[in-house]
Amino acid sequence: MPWKLLWRNVLGHPVRSLLTVGAVAIAVFLVCVLQAVTSGLTRTLSSAAANRLLVQSAVSLFVDLPLSYQQKIAAVPGIEAICKWQWFGGRYEQDKGGFFPQFGIDPDTFAASYPEITIVEGSYADFQRERTACMVGIDTATKYGWKIGQTVPIAGTIFQRTDGRPWEFTVRAIYTSNSAAVDKISLYFPFHYLQESVEQGGAIGPDGVGVYMLRVAKGSDPLAVQQAVDGMFANGPQRVQTTTEAEFNRQFISMLGDVPTLLQLIGGAVLFAIFFAVLNTMLMAGRERTRAIGVMKALGFTDHTTGALLVAESLLLCMLGAALGIGLGLAAEAPFAAATGAFLPGFGFDEATLWLGAGIALGTGLVAGLLPGWRAARMNTIAALREVG
Amino acid sequence: MASAITIQSVTKTYTRGGESLRVLDELDLTMDGGTFYALMGPSGSGKTTLLNLVGGLDQADSGSVRIGDVDLGELSSSELAGWRAANVGFVFQGFNLLPVLTARENVELPLLLAPLSRAQRRAQAERVLELVGLKDRMDHKPRELSGGQEQRVAIARAIATDPQVLLADEPTGDLDRTTADSVLDLLQRLNRELQKTILMVTHDPQAASYSDKVIHLDKGKLGRIDDNRAASGGRK
Ligand SMILES: Nc1ncnc2c1ncn2[C@@H]1O[C@H](COP(=O)(O)OP(=O)(O)O)[C@@H](O)[C@H]1O
Ligand SMILES: [Mg+2]
Repeated sequence: MPWKLLWRNVLGHPVRSLLTVGAVAIAVFLVCVLQAVTSGLTRTLSSAAANRLLVQSAVSLFVDLPLSYQQKIAAVPGIEAICKWQWFGGRYEQDKGGFFPQFGIDPDTFAASYPEITIVEGSYADFQRERTACMVGIDTATKYGWKIGQTVPIAGTIFQRTDGRPWEFTVRAIYTSNSAAVDKISLYFPFHYLQESVEQGGAIGPDGVGVYMLRVAKGSDPLAVQQAVDGMFANGPQRVQTTTEAEFNRQFISMLGDVPTLLQLIGGAVLFAIFFAVLNTMLMAGRERTRAIGVMKALGFTDHTTGALLVAESLLLCMLGAALGIGLGLAAEAPFAAATGAFLPGFGFDEATLWLGAGIALGTGLVAGLLPGWRAARMNTIAALREVG
Repeated sequence: MASAITIQSVTKTYTRGGESLRVLDELDLTMDGGTFYALMGPSGSGKTTLLNLVGGLDQADSGSVRIGDVDLGELSSSELAGWRAANVGFVFQGFNLLPVLTARENVELPLLLAPLSRAQRRAQAERVLELVGLKDRMDHKPRELSGGQEQRVAIARAIATDPQVLLADEPTGDLDRTTADSVLDLLQRLNRELQKTILMVTHDPQAASYSDKVIHLDKGKLGRIDDNRAASGGRK
């Protein structure tokens, strides 16, 4: 195999080669990102806990449930603990462009219900003890350089303080998570702080609960609990919808539409386009080298070698593109994960995603090289030499 | 003793648009090894076709083409490719150097098919480039060379594997008189000093005068054969 010729042929048309490599790189990058999103979704859903149920308004996630429901729900057999979740929707003024979710929760039941969480700094007991304490995910704490004991100002949007000042939470615990079901960016504070502030007139805002999390006791049937809770409020005053955590996550994600299918369609379209781009390049290369192919055959190179040279060139362009695309993907992984962390804690390039990118490039290169390669192999030496130009 | 080229009642027919054209008609011709032949004849008389048959680029419909004791008609197309790599060098009117390779790399190309190391290939390429007087230009791309230089690189490429037979199809057709003369000088030198058997197609009587013998072809039939050596009083 004349490797030097292969390389020189690629370098002989630097712009065309660069464009092809660039197009393949972008396609591989896109496919990797799309695949990472899809597998992130799957991972988030599949790592959801089976023993956690979520009760929300049957109307919509944006409608609060009455606080009085908690006692009634607690009467349903099989429920071990209840934890309120209230979306705070605040803004960290120091980073207006950034985003991390904040929730009011019940510290007494939260930790035991989410064993995925581990405290890495401070202590859960400290967080639990103090009304204005907060517990933050390690990614957010690291991003802003927050330390234990530090006060963090968060401006309310849904819940606004009557003195017009931002809310202040003292960092008492920093947590990490070992599961895609729980993100590492949220800020949690005691729900009762929020509730008391509203009740005592220190703040204005809705008075209710977004979601009740129910922890189902070992040995009890989540489905039975689900039906009992839904049945309890079937006739009002406000109907509820109880779902498993996986189903809840799925609905939350599908507020954005049928994402996986859409992503696959986009990925497919990208691959289709890129295949024709590479094929076009290789057909052009094959055609303009007609004479050179004739010369090589006259010199004694076999049909097989002259054909393989074009296939190898196509593979080379595509593999260079794949390397570049995967490199881009790895460089972009951290910023992407940070940007999507709230919705998609499972985002990330696993080995399978990278192999998929490389595999696609390999396949494209091979298939796009075969047609011009086959033409070159079949080409009649004398006819090729007669070709003018 | 250099191998002879023996052509026995060779017929080659092309069909184009339903009409068949007998380009070579029962041609018989024997050429001695180590001799410089010019092949002349009107356009379309079958000169290139004959050259292609002798070079193993094409096969006759009937009859036989033998180089030494090899009957080209008995070789498969991949055997022919291997035979060409070792036994014959081509020089074309349009030079046909690969534009992306330097002069030296063009000359090294056929050497890739020989059992040589990288260093041996390099040394051999430089040796033949020196022989054609272009060693100082070996790192230039074809477009950086003049026509005459390009043709000399092409000749270096044709003799790189040290084949017995050189086939040249109007090698000076695209060159001016002076440049043509220097290329013809080179071919003559390769014949005289390295005993290459050369078959050169040309329209130009002056080019033909560099050869030992001139074969005339007309409508696929052999015409007369002139002996330049006899005419010039036995130069050789
Ligand atoms: N591949 C081919 N198909 C059809 N006709 C051909 C082919 N090659 C050559 N011919 C015809 O055969 C005749 C002889 O061609 P050629 O050997 O190239 O002549 P010359 O080199 O003497 O000018 C010409 O009429 C040419 O058109
Ligand atoms: Mg001709």
